[in-house]
Amino acid sequence: MSLQGYSAEVLDLLARAPGAGRPDGVGWVSGEAREPLTATHVRFHLQASAGRIAAARYEVRGCPHTIALAALAAAWLPGRAPAEVVLDVRALAARLQAPIGKLGRFLVVQEAIGAAALQLAGRPA
Amino acid sequence: MSAPPLYFDHAATTPLDPRVRAAMFASLDAAPGNPSATHAAGRAARERVEEARAEVGALLGAPAAAIVFTSGATEADNLAILGAGRARPGGHVVSLRTEHRAVLDACRRLEREGHRLTLLTPARDGRVDPAAIAAVLGPTTTLVSVMLVNNETGVIQDIAAIAAECRRRGVLLHVDAAQAAGRVPLDVSVLEADLVSLSAHKIHGPVGVGALYVRREPRPALQPLLVGGGQEGGLRPGTLPVHQLVGMGAAFRLARISGPAEAAALGLLRDRLWSALADLPGTYLNGHPTARAPHILNVSFEGVDGEALLAGLGGLIVASGAACGAESGEPSYVLRALGRDDALAQASLRFSLGRGQTAPEVDAAAAQVREVVLRLRSLAPA
Repeated sequence: MSLQGYSAEVLDLLARAPGAGRPDGVGWVSGEAREPLTATHVRFHLQASAGRIAAARYEVRGCPHTIALAALAAAWLPGRAPAEVVLDVRALAARLQAPIGKLGRFLVVQEAIGAAALQLAGRPA
Repeated sequence: MSAPPLYFDHAATTPLDPRVRAAMFASLDAAPGNPSATHAAGRAARERVEEARAEVGALLGAPAAAIVFTSGATEADNLAILGAGRARPGGHVVSLRTEHRAVLDACRRLEREGHRLTLLTPARDGRVDPAAIAAVLGPTTTLVSVMLVNNETGVIQDIAAIAAECRRRGVLLHVDAAQAAGRVPLDVSVLEADLVSLSAHKIHGPVGVGALYVRREPRPALQPLLVGGGQEGGLRPGTLPVHQLVGMGAAFRLARISGPAEAAALGLLRDRLWSALADLPGTYLNGHPTARAPHILNVSFEGVDGEALLAGLGGLIVASGAACGAESGEPSYVLRALGRDDALAQASLRFSLGRGQTAPEVDAAAAQVREVVLRLRSLAPA
């Protein structure tokens, strides 16, 4: 853990934010969620191919754990069906050594992914 | 090897000045002696204590006899507020919502003990109008407590004007000056305060020692917080930690001699830092633009998460809100009292400068903050 209480993985993901950004091109759907108390705001962008998620990008305003979770989720999503995109939030929180108080913010990430996946599921194949 | 982080948290605590350290070690190496004892060793220790007391008093333009040593400014605040309140049961106490927790919690303790408490909200610039304080003073008001320099924003209150209102009505005035000593003029004959809390470790002295100035004429009645000895005029019993007091005396001596020049230099560095940040869109100075101490700069950044901002600044040691309140994870209550919304209060940094800080350090800090703010904004949804 760093002096500030973050794991090395969280600090690395915060510094690199792999997969972050608004995608260019067509064929993307988006979903977003907010948590006003902490001003956490997450938007996920998904692209599908043959009924499965082909690519995921995200935009995020949130704490280091939230940014780290969004990065992990973006790497985990490709290859999954839209109906399978429920994150194991507790396991990810444990992996990122996040305090229990961060679970609410993690659910914002899940909600944004779910909103995007719902749009993907509603699209004609 | 990477460079050590740059220290911008002098309002939380300052590094011990080598000259203060030398004085403390000389005291520790001296023959043992309890300053309360009447033998030669005791008298020698007492002499060192009284020299330190005189140095602390000198910074305030006060006689040594007006200085009561404590374990720090928090204890001094408690002694002033609880001590004065308990000496006048059932009274009315007035303070500000932007005070340090040591003051607010002591005031709330008095409220639980039967006093009436009025907490005023300053203007959005952090200043309180002395007339607003005068307006709430009544026949039962016994004590007003207002800090000279706010520990989060650096805003300076017009203590002399507040003191005039208090004196007109026979109300005691306590001033927490923990952030003021060595940074702004602190002459009690000008401030006209009855009680003034002081800290050593905020001005390059040791942690664990502070003092309460108690006006001599008229001397306010105070009830001690502790019992068990007659030290410090019965107000603060316990064997005096001579080396700590020597350290505080040395720190206050340095502040008296070099404080004005240092404060002027720190003010220039603070302004340099603000100039390097101010042109970032969505960047706000917290607190009054001119009535503020030279060593504190508090800035909010729109569109970023405060925790991510702080975590991204690996090369800087800086406070996000008050150091004392950061553990709660709540946005700063001081900034919220000034009207900042939760997001801006949370996305704030308090830079506090100290002795030996340089312009290149300030420039490096500003560059790092700009980089992290812009990067976090680039991640955020538009």
